[in-house]
Amino acid sequence: MAEEGKDINQERTNRSYLDPWPPVRGDYLLGDPQAKVAVVTLASTFHPHGAAISGPCKTENLGLEKIVANVISNSNIRVLIICGMESKGHLPGNTLLALHKNGIDEKGRIIGSKGAIPFIQNLSGQAIERFKRQVELVDRIGLEDIEEIERLVSEYNHLAEPFPEEPYQVFKRRVAHHEMLSGDSDLFFGAGVSMDTARWLVASEV
Amino acid sequence: MFRFKNKQSIVNVGGVRFGGQPGSLPTVLCGTIFYQGHRIVEDDESGIFDHAAAERLVIRQIELSGETGCPFVLHIYARTVPALLKYLDFTERIWSGPFIIDSAERSTRSAALSVLSEMGYADRAIFNSISIATDEAEARALLENEVDSAIILAYNPGVPGVEGAMQILENGGQVSDEGLIPLAGRLGISNILIDPGVVPMGSGAGSSLRFSVVAKSRLGLPVGSGIHNAISSWQWLLNKEKVTRRCCDAAAACMQLAMGGDFLLYGPIEGGEVIFPAAAMADILVAEAVRDLEIYPEASHPLFRLV
Repeated sequence: MAEEGKDINQERTNRSYLDPWPPVRGDYLLGDPQAKVAVVTLASTFHPHGAAISGPCKTENLGLEKIVANVISNSNIRVLIICGMESKGHLPGNTLLALHKNGIDEKGRIIGSKGAIPFIQNLSGQAIERFKRQVELVDRIGLEDIEEIERLVSEYNHLAEPFPEEPYQVFKRRVAHHEMLSGDSDLFFGAGVSMDTARWLVASEV
Repeated sequence: MFRFKNKQSIVNVGGVRFGGQPGSLPTVLCGTIFYQGHRIVEDDESGIFDHAAAERLVIRQIELSGETGCPFVLHIYARTVPALLKYLDFTERIWSGPFIIDSAERSTRSAALSVLSEMGYADRAIFNSISIATDEAEARALLENEVDSAIILAYNPGVPGVEGAMQILENGGQVSDEGLIPLAGRLGISNILIDPGVVPMGSGAGSSLRFSVVAKSRLGLPVGSGIHNAISSWQWLLNKEKVTRRCCDAAAACMQLAMGGDFLLYGPIEGGEVIFPAAAMADILVAEAVRDLEIYPEASHPLFRLV
């Protein structure tokens, strides 16, 4: 699982969100980072006013991880509205609800999700726990009425208070370093040069 | 360029051959029609679409294939079974080669297997895909029907990268009790095509390139990918000119082929205009690169048509 950083990053300021925020790139539109609401529009594309961040999510694994990483890195966000049309087969909306309600099992599978491949690979249990504690999910899957969504955003922006903990930074997992030792070549470039593809090691026999 | 020490098997589906040593067979190019958001589809629930536009698209791929020597496979995406039936009716009239059957809906994929067997299309059909998302109902449908060609999606959500993908194929890794290749064999799939499952750029898309070398070396099976998915999900590129996006698509396709790819799932069928020439160019360069490694291209290769 990913390693989480509780240490204060040098780039972090005294604000309730990481700077720069959000830490993970994606297909989203940013609003006021002090706002209390984030909106995920699933397979639909629209951007309601008033949200700290809004954007689509079409996958039930990597897409969800980005949402969690960007939400918990801003302690102001207390409500995540899930709206728009569900992404067929992948079901990220259903999976987000399942992640928040049930978490993941020992294999990283999101418990109770009906999505195709509902796994978390880059978030620790701590990050998921933080997500569950920090935000409330508002299930409006199927809703595409932007006026109604903006009304919800405005309502929750006024109701919620910032989460009383530091923003949480999710670090990308580092791939374990393997010693590059010589091995049996199984791929040949000719002229006495070959490669052990298990180690991705090119060697010359000459 | 290189040749593999291990034997590289060749899979034949409906007369189209995939695999072998890099430089021997032309790349098989698979273009998707009726995909989600395809503008020629009016109603993806019932399968209402613009027949004339669909026909033009397929005929253009046939022309490009005939000109370059790279075989074409029609990749049919259907949301529902009624839509699939209409798409198959259309396909039967215009295309005699192999086709890939695909849907985001498990129930549609399962039902498609029965439909294909009943309609006598099983030997031309490639099921997309067997993955860790394959559930018992889908596995039963594969076992009980005649389709014996499938793409195996080696996406491993538990362990990213090449090693994780190989684990999923061979033994299931941490997320499954059975590898997808043994599973496919148990379900009667004899023609196996391997796809690493390309993730977005920034999430490890590049590992698909190295995967193709490793998978071919260890398994000896045909390997390809939908590398265009990495490009289409690249936010920075989205606002660039169409020609810029297409250049990147073609470049990514060529990188996949330079790393031993046997087939490309090139995404929207409209992309064939740039992918066929790019793939033919890559095939020629690879064939020339391995000429003195005792790999000989077959007669239909772009090397003998375009230069």
